Amino acid sequence: MSHGHNSNDPQALYEGDQSKLYSGVMNHHSDIKSEESRKQIGRIRWVLILLSLVTIAEVGLGLAFAYYYPDVLPRPLLNTIFLVLTLVKAGYIVSVFMHLGDEVKSFFWMVLMPLLLFVWFIIAFLADGNFWLFMNASTPIR
Amino acid sequence: MAHATATTAETKPWGGGRSPFNVSYGKMMMWFFLLSDAFTFGAFLISYGTKRFFSAVWPDPNHVFHAFPFMGHMDLPLVFVSLMTFILIASSVTMVLAVHAGHYGDRNGVIKWMLWTIIGGIAFLACQAWEWTHLSHLTGGLWGTFTDGDAPKAIYEAYYNTASDAWAAATPAELASSTHNFYNFFFTITGFHGFHVLSGVAFLVLILINTVNGTYDNRGHYEMVEKVGLYWHFVDLVWVFVFTCFYLL
Repeated sequence: MSHGHNSNDPQALYEGDQSKLYSGVMNHHSDIKSEESRKQIGRIRWVLILLSLVTIAEVGLGLAFAYYYPDVLPRPLLNTIFLVLTLVKAGYIVSVFMHLGDEVKSFFWMVLMPLLLFVWFIIAFLADGNFWLFMNASTPIR
Repeated sequence: MAHATATTAETKPWGGGRSPFNVSYGKMMMWFFLLSDAFTFGAFLISYGTKRFFSAVWPDPNHVFHAFPFMGHMDLPLVFVSLMTFILIASSVTMVLAVHAGHYGDRNGVIKWMLWTIIGGIAFLACQAWEWTHLSHLTGGLWGTFTDGDAPKAIYEAYYNTASDAWAAATPAELASSTHNFYNFFFTITGFHGFHVLSGVAFLVLILINTVNGTYDNRGHYEMVEKVGLYWHFVDLVWVFVFTCFYLL
């Protein structure tokens, strides 16, 4: 199997430099000024603007309803908004910046499914902390 | 040989002779590593949450984090950390542009955008160094502060929402315990994240040197830039959650 370092034979690449086989450099991507390339850069720019706006919104909400006017919005509602916005940001980072959205579906789910453990993890531990606090509570708390 | 994928597509995904996930071994292992790292950070943040649910009273981020460099005693809650967040998001964007340039074999583009990413990473670390220094001046240290349960309530005033019922009902011992836990978790988790940023900058410098030396041009692809990019985006992703848990909730 001595095809040399830069061989483009798929069999040789699978046994040698897989990265070249799967990075897509062999079938497309020639001109960075092409229409396809510009479209992708536009998409990245749009996500930058979106992430910045969401962060500004989060800080604005925090200042308005957790600092200056804490009685206007119920705290659980505010926290829910924060968590939803956080997941929105995380989703864009993973799918666009990390290109997970462009991978094949089986790989996409193989990465995401184990994270379901967090559902149990968060509920179990926070409930335990909460139970411990209220077990012996005799004074106003939080 | 422009039809490499067409040749390999003849076999079934799990039939052998090709990666069923259509990714290289190195890239898949980077994803596995990031998955395990996500659980490490998740465990840190969940234990922070557990301690918080454990406690009758908890410091208010709007009161703890309200300083800005060179602004003296001006009350600017969350402004500095917003700047840090923006720096990290911007560095993530320059990183994805470096990966994009790598896809097109544009060496000068890769060098340019990786330099910007390194500058962003160093700027973030500098901000964090300032914030840690500022907080340690306020509290008298990093880890292990606020251990005296008999200390007067007045010393905690700067870190809490003193208008709340929880503050009014809290005993000095409870305040010592909560403030102690809050700062220990803060320095542990932001420190662990900061160390990821630091090692990320080191990786970026190594990959940049290889790029300048033409290593990836000779190899025919820039997948190393992509793999380090995954790591860098993950560091940004973790910060999104740290930001929410420590500064917003």
